[in-house]
Amino acid sequence: MEALVIGSGIAGMACALRLAKQGIHVVLASPYPSERSQSVMAAGGINAMVSGNEEGDSVESHIQDTLKGGSGLGGEEAVRGMCEHGGEIIRYLESIGTVFSVDGANKPVRRAFGGQSHKRTYYCGSATGKQIVSALAMECRRFEAFGMITRRLRCSFHSALIRDGAAYGALLYDEASARLEACYADFLVMATGGQNALFGKTTGSSLCDGYAAGRLFMQGAVLKNLEFIQYHPTTLETAQKKMLISEAVRGEGGRLFYVENGERVYFMEEKYGKRGNLMTRDVISREIYATGKDVYLDISFLDGQTIDERLPEVRDICIKYRGIDIKKEPIPVSPSVHFFMGGLAVHLNHETSLRNLFAVGECASIYHGANRLGGNSLLSAIYSGFVAADEIAGRAPARKYPDFTAFMEDERRLLKKSSASKSTFPVFYIRDMLSMTMAEHLGIVRDEKGLEEGLTDIGYYLSIAEKIRYDRSVPAYSNFSLKPILCIAGATLASARERRESRGAHFRSDYPETLERYGYATLVSYQDGKFQIRPDQEHAYES
Amino acid sequence: MKVNVLRRMTPEQEPYWESFLYDGSEDNTVAGLLDYINYNDDILNDKGEKTTRISWECSCIQGICGACAMIVNDVPALACEAFLKDIQGEEISLRPLSKFPVIRDLVVDRSGIYDSLRHNNVCIETYKPPSDGDHEQDYASAKCLKCGLCIECCPKYTDGRTFYGAPFANDCYLVASRNQEKSHEILEIYQEHFKDSCAFDLACMRICPMGIKITACMKKLNSLK
Ligand SMILES: Cc1cc2nc3c(=O)[nH]c(=O)nc-3n(C[C@H](O)[C@H](O)[C@H](O)COP(=O)(O)OP(=O)(O)OC[C@H]3O[C@@H](n4cnc5c(N)ncnc54)[C@H](O)[C@@H]3O)c2cc1C
Ligand code: SF4
Ligand code: SF4
Ligand code: FES
Repeated sequence: MEALVIGSGIAGMACALRLAKQGIHVVLASPYPSERSQSVMAAGGINAMVSGNEEGDSVESHIQDTLKGGSGLGGEEAVRGMCEHGGEIIRYLESIGTVFSVDGANKPVRRAFGGQSHKRTYYCGSATGKQIVSALAMECRRFEAFGMITRRLRCSFHSALIRDGAAYGALLYDEASARLEACYADFLVMATGGQNALFGKTTGSSLCDGYAAGRLFMQGAVLKNLEFIQYHPTTLETAQKKMLISEAVRGEGGRLFYVENGERVYFMEEKYGKRGNLMTRDVISREIYATGKDVYLDISFLDGQTIDERLPEVRDICIKYRGIDIKKEPIPVSPSVHFFMGGLAVHLNHETSLRNLFAVGECASIYHGANRLGGNSLLSAIYSGFVAADEIAGRAPARKYPDFTAFMEDERRLLKKSSASKSTFPVFYIRDMLSMTMAEHLGIVRDEKGLEEGLTDIGYYLSIAEKIRYDRSVPAYSNFSLKPILCIAGATLASARERRESRGAHFRSDYPETLERYGYATLVSYQDGKFQIRPDQEHAYES
Repeated sequence: MKVNVLRRMTPEQEPYWESFLYDGSEDNTVAGLLDYINYNDDILNDKGEKTTRISWECSCIQGICGACAMIVNDVPALACEAFLKDIQGEEISLRPLSKFPVIRDLVVDRSGIYDSLRHNNVCIETYKPPSDGDHEQDYASAKCLKCGLCIECCPKYTDGRTFYGAPFANDCYLVASRNQEKSHEILEIYQEHFKDSCAFDLACMRICPMGIKITACMKKLNSLK
């Protein structure tokens, strides 16, 4: 049996390992090694209820916190499964050598994270994602050594091989040979991460561009809840990106304020009391936005040694990129796009609307509903990888692969045509216009008029995208990815327009209330160039 | 500012220098400078001739993924962490890492780092940490980016066939510190592919962007029996 896993971040590796352990050969394909994936940037930690957590904590309370954070749109059964497996996942990560922060007795320690009733976020200094990636990558190597996992580097997903509603592998674009090649598989698993790059400057990686989900959408896969985009309230602006200032700073007691008449106003504490700085990310982002002022995060009152021990990466980022010494001065912060609750719609077993096509990690939408709790996405990345792998292991392989020669020839021809161009027009002019559209109309606060304008923009970009010839001296991927990226952006705007209420991370100034009749996930599919939106009233997908 | 870039379009082509004029912000990093130069309809070199965009690799833009390693004014560095204001003089030269095969312009193939680890089975297998672990060093070693900056400045690393350099020693350390039962096997591999040839000049440690103390790894591995 063969599985093709696209994307080698935490979700892709977790899935590949679980498949390989069950005797299934995996091709693990990504343009770069796992060390370059966005997963290495995860800072704060991973949530889990493990026996020995603080008194009163329970799996049930983790479930309730997650569902509450998701404002009624998280898949309840899926969330239950994830939370019940939290302890097992922490133990697994320990067993493959993840270097968790520990106490004197060598036991992993926890910190508090926003929106949680108990301290249940396990962490590795402020480099949790990096430490987990290092451990998973080493474990993958073991399976690579005896041939159960085959890594394909320098290759990108181009399109899925789909026939009669089922997937049989994918076309991969191989950078070295500059060719498309068919990679047949009984099961195709997408682990391609979020769609940060739609927005230009964010906290995430430029490799997370939404192309793969966009292309699958155009090939018939259903997308879900795209309008729910988490803004992280505290990021530090630099010339090229918005750097995350981990929630751990607030977990350690950091206080948000602005200055008025020479006085500090601790606006979160004033409005929400002592735990105000630990409110959920959407609430804080909106409150920061509402101040209309420059906002700062102060941790300088903590003693230097604690800062060195618990927040060394935050300390380093501030000094290196902005010359700010967090032991002495507050950090100027502003909200930025950070996490995508929406993505490929999946069932409880992580299969998408197409048979034998699975999605795991941030590119799938199931656990986080209208908003995600910090620390839950690393947990869901691993858990979802395991669920998909276990499902696949219980299935029969495809009896025969259909013939995709004609499809491949067509796609090759298209690619060749575009590379015959003599133009020097760079595709990123359009990508830049797209990120301006997204930032302007899909910000923290949205309204009908803005969303309409955004859709008009996308319509225009799509109408010119195929007419213009692009610079062929850049990797072909940047050119062929444009249209699906524009499509997923359009589907996101359309989903946000149809949700005429406010819920979780989606806030409409023209519809500020949460309305019961909108208590369903938004599904969007692509038909004849149009975005078809429908609420999932039949609960076709877990939510 | 004049920017000299060592270019080549394909692995087979002979490398050549091409210069560009940079009139962007001083606050930029080298990564920002490359984006700035590439951000034009027509890319012009310093003679006003049309040329192609400069290829380079990036992902995180904050020094934690290792993608953008290159040689900046003869010093191996991460482009997203190399600030123009720290650069002396009016010119800046950018070259690809020289110890790895060049793919295009500033992009190199670092898969050799992974091959050496995979071929020698440098992985934990079972979790059996010794009781006298060094948590701080474990954490530091696991932060290795596999960026290859250390290999670039290593006097002993040539083609990566026998001597594998600091990332290899680093992961050997991690295995020994996570599974004491594998100490003996790891020690043998470490001796053959690292210790026997290492010059102990510590150039690797001085350049490492993660500040990994390779000396601590060596000390631990040398104490194994
Ligand atoms: C700065 C930051 C801090 C965070 N902190 C936390 C935290 O503390 N706790 C927490 O729980 N979560 C955190 N998150 C979120 C969490 O890191 C991500 O949700 C999670 O790591 C996603 O993992 P993934 O494997 O799904 O995707 P990724 O790690 O993004 O991996 C995607 C993979 O797909 C590949 N890929 C993409 N497109 C293609 C294509 N077309 N073809 C082939 N391959 C492709 C990429 O190269 C990569 O290998 C943070 C996120 C950011 C940005
Ligand atoms: S040891 Fe340091 S310099 Fe060498 S690859 Fe690892 S992070 Fe890079
Ligand atoms: S100490 Fe010197 S010879 Fe040894 S790995 Fe480091 S740079 Fe190379
Ligand atoms: S882009 Fe990640 S280290 Fe420079």
